[in-house]
Amino acid sequence: MTSELVEKLKSGLKGNITVISDDGVNDVVVLSDKKLIKSAAELIKGTHDILFMLTIVDRNPNFELNYLFSNYRNKNIIILRVNITQDDYKIDTVSKVFPSADWEEREAYDLFGIEFKGHPDLRRILLPEDWPGHPLRKDFEVTDDVRNWTGLDLKF
Amino acid sequence: MNLESEEKNAADEFSYPGLGDVIFMKAEKFIETVLNWGRGWSLWPVTFGTSCCAIEMMTFGATKVDADRMGVLFVGDSPRQSDLILVSGTITKKMARRLINVYEQMPSPKYVVAVGACNISGGLYHDSYNTIAGIDRIMQVDVHIPGCPPRPEQFQDAVKVLRELIQKNKIERYDKRTS
Ligand code: SF4
Repeated sequence: MTSELVEKLKSGLKGNITVISDDGVNDVVVLSDKKLIKSAAELIKGTHDILFMLTIVDRNPNFELNYLFSNYRNKNIIILRVNITQDDYKIDTVSKVFPSADWEEREAYDLFGIEFKGHPDLRRILLPEDWPGHPLRKDFEVTDDVRNWTGLDLKF
Repeated sequence: MNLESEEKNAADEFSYPGLGDVIFMKAEKFIETVLNWGRGWSLWPVTFGTSCCAIEMMTFGATKVDADRMGVLFVGDSPRQSDLILVSGTITKKMARRLINVYEQMPSPKYVVAVGACNISGGLYHDSYNTIAGIDRIMQVDVHIPGCPPRPEQFQDAVKVLRELIQKNKIERYDKRTS
């Protein structure tokens, strides 16, 4: 059993994807180029309704982004995997296509420091606005500077 | 030459307190003692509950360990009318500013009770990147309650200890914010 959506992605993106699994229920595809993320999201939008999770794996120094889409009608999900390399940690936002990506991307920016180009409101979501560093990166260390930072020199 | 004249001036200006001053100081202390006696019996708290310890704080105010009979009235929760802040729960770095914001709205004299291991030394999160490891780092604390979480009876005990400290004039500082 093959998945219609994966076939659609294959033809729509001119074969720029690698298929890991296409059983129609749990599809996993890898995008070969991060510039295609927006057009891939637009293709997925027809079949799947929400981006319910965005996970990041730190494969030091590269990052692996997993976009998980699902829908309200059945149990099918699709995982779209994109790798971004160390030359720049930037990728296009999909929050115009899937509005739920807004906060997911802010969280990814907060904890991993990945910049989403074209995001409407890219601020930190969990940590204080002037916090130094991105704590979930592998190369982040909890030093005394981080421990003693209270942020209270700020005037409010 | 300069130094000598300054010394001389200082010697001229110094004088022992006169009888009037002594009476004033005694009267001030007496009034303060009376006021402190009253303050000790009516500690209205701000309930600054941010995580698990707050549940025990609620039990402290509820029927079994009745806080009201000790003068700790959970009324309204407005910092502008409170004497005591019960900081119960982990204080993250983002929350620290809000805590200080609430604390600075309280009128003097104000007393601080740090509840739980998190507020004494960081507790479980002592090595975390985003918690204040002990609120002694950002404000002066009068009474600590150990435990993770402490039992409601310990809150009761803390209030008794604080009352004794206040009534014996052991807490003199009025604005205790450091940092
Ligand atoms: S001291 Fe323990 S119970 Fe209290 S807030 Fe910290 S972790 Fe929770």
